[in-house]
Amino acid sequence: MTDIQADLTQPMSIAIRPAPSRQRGAGIAPWLYLAPALILLFMWTYVPLVEAFKLSFYQWNMLPTAPQRFVGLDNYRRIFALSEMRTALWNTLFYIIGLFPMSVIIPLFVAILTQDLQGRLRMLYRTLIFVPMIVPPVVAAILWRWLLSDDHGLVNNLLALAGLGTVGFLTDPHCALATLTWITGWKLIGFSTLLFSAANAGIDRSYVEAARIDGASRWQIVRDIRLPLLSPTIMLLSMMTILFGAQWSFAYISVLTNGGPLKSTTNIFYVLWEYGFETLSAGWSAAAGMITFASFAVIAFCCLRLMKRYAVYDN
Amino acid sequence: MLRRTYLKLMSTLVVGALVPFSAAFADMPATVDGPVTISFYNYNLASASAGADATKELLAAFKQKFPNITVETIAVPSNEIMSRVQADIVAGQQPDVAQLVFRDLIYIASDLGANALEDMVSPQELKDHLSGMIPQGLELGKVDGKTYGLAYTFSTPILYYNADLFRQAGLDPDSPPKTWDDVKKAGDAIKQKTGKNGFFPGAYGPADGTFVYQAIVMSNGGKVRQGNTLTFADGDAADAVKMLRDMVDSGAHARIDVASPADTMASGNLGMFLYTSALYASLKKSAAGKFDLRVAAMPSFGDKPTAPTNSGSALFVFSKDPVKQRASYELLKFLTSKEAYTIITSKIGYLPLRLDIVDDPKYLGEWVKQNPMIRPNLEQLNRLTPNIAFPGPNYRQAENMMMDSVRQAVFGSGDPIATLKTAEQAAQDLMP
Repeated sequence: MTDIQADLTQPMSIAIRPAPSRQRGAGIAPWLYLAPALILLFMWTYVPLVEAFKLSFYQWNMLPTAPQRFVGLDNYRRIFALSEMRTALWNTLFYIIGLFPMSVIIPLFVAILTQDLQGRLRMLYRTLIFVPMIVPPVVAAILWRWLLSDDHGLVNNLLALAGLGTVGFLTDPHCALATLTWITGWKLIGFSTLLFSAANAGIDRSYVEAARIDGASRWQIVRDIRLPLLSPTIMLLSMMTILFGAQWSFAYISVLTNGGPLKSTTNIFYVLWEYGFETLSAGWSAAAGMITFASFAVIAFCCLRLMKRYAVYDN
Repeated sequence: MLRRTYLKLMSTLVVGALVPFSAAFADMPATVDGPVTISFYNYNLASASAGADATKELLAAFKQKFPNITVETIAVPSNEIMSRVQADIVAGQQPDVAQLVFRDLIYIASDLGANALEDMVSPQELKDHLSGMIPQGLELGKVDGKTYGLAYTFSTPILYYNADLFRQAGLDPDSPPKTWDDVKKAGDAIKQKTGKNGFFPGAYGPADGTFVYQAIVMSNGGKVRQGNTLTFADGDAADAVKMLRDMVDSGAHARIDVASPADTMASGNLGMFLYTSALYASLKKSAAGKFDLRVAAMPSFGDKPTAPTNSGSALFVFSKDPVKQRASYELLKFLTSKEAYTIITSKIGYLPLRLDIVDDPKYLGEWVKQNPMIRPNLEQLNRLTPNIAFPGPNYRQAENMMMDSVRQAVFGSGDPIATLKTAEQAAQDLMP
């Protein structure tokens, strides 16, 4: 989440196309201004993308001395044949859907419900809800490991005291995925709430006052004024959750479960990291990366279309 | 035309410039005369346990003996050290000496360009140093008859057990389990009578490699591969895994976090723990004043002799510069000397690869008298069976698929043998 700003701007920049120059021969000045950004963009995004595409047809263990062996579509065939890949794809979907309540729905209602809080109380609630956001992911992961540990974790001790027995939050394949989704979402609530609060505060008060004069109830104001005007933010956060949600869980998977128990918490991003840097199969990793890239590109395109169509802007 | 001649000339010059380098390989100077700095990639230093302190002590002693040689240490956890060494080589930062585990041996020799000691050191000097070291240990670092890795920190799996839990479960802590049937009985009793975890091997975690798993498999007469054919789903190998699964099903084998069974053992919540003796000093420290920690030999399958494999590491030299090679070799010699093994064994818990120091009062004699627990581990050295490394450029992927299927077979719900079979077929594709 450190590059959240980059995350925020990335999908937006897709929509912005450079306007065609009206005059022929407008000079190279605009290109000079753009050059540093373009060079960096090409060097760090498009060149590696093309390299990865090429690499996905080769078998290579990332050693410069080792030959890169062309294997055609073998890498793709192999990883599709692995049950691990299917598990990873399903889990990715689970992460995304599971994150929605915590990255969109709860923050939306918290922001709307607490907008009338005043002074200190408002500061206090904002701080409380924002704190998880500023805890570094690895620290958060380790804290949760202690809290959720089977034999000496606080949560399990409380459950045992209440006579409910212990739960293998991170060791039971049936619970681990939900646990990691929760931890990822817990980190996100603060950020989303902040965005919603800001968008909510930006709504012109005169609409609300006009509605009050017309005798609208609180709920009617929320439904007919606030929610439509918040829709661009809702769309943006939904899109971010879909596109980045599974990526945000990476640190927790890596620190807490390594994709286990029994592959129950792995997702596509963890799998491609594992292929690339754990087992040094650059070809597999690149192939998994290309699949991910292609599917998320399609999803991003659909999201942008939806956003254009359904978001309401207050002009 | 002119350009072609120029190119030819240049390439001749380049080749000519390279030749002395390859010839220099045999010309390691006899001593280090000027100051030299070498890098040492070490995983004991990256641990928070006794390993780091003892290694620092060793390096300090080395510095005193060789003031000319500065050892720059790079501490990386054992499961990441191999990727780190590879990444640094790719980035053009040649490590000089690295402590690496045996599972990567073939790859290190064939792809990473480690120096064989026979190519680097004169035969007489090498013979002098290696005499007195356990031949089975030295054998482990060899590929095609040449020593690429010099066995360094070293141990076999031993059965740690919590004597207090044994007593609470109505078991006799003075007769620890000898066979897997005994382990199952003891595990069931501990689980049922105390509610604590019965048994767990350090065989499935990300940091454990495959040595405990392979030791269990080979004790049942199985092998993970024969030549380039994978056999971990066949007969005896698969039966060993099925035995573990049966213990999971009965409750004798715990279902805990595969990454941290040592923590569970240290907290006193695990009855029996099969793992490297390298953890002995750390576990002893955790157990002190809390519970009665004891050690037994690795359990066997009925009457079959056990085949304890080696955990631990060898030292590899990567330097291409002759002076650095000499400095590196001095470090190797020092770290595998009698003095060094005295520290390694007594402070960390690894085995001494020089058995003549065990009863020598000048070295380990006193310590062994006070710590007779090292004996089962020493005794197992006689049956030491090498941990089998995987060959080929995809060895890690193949090994990973094997370990995934073992975890699935032991903790999953499907048929364990079928699970192993499917993985074996998929992984066979990746063998050379």
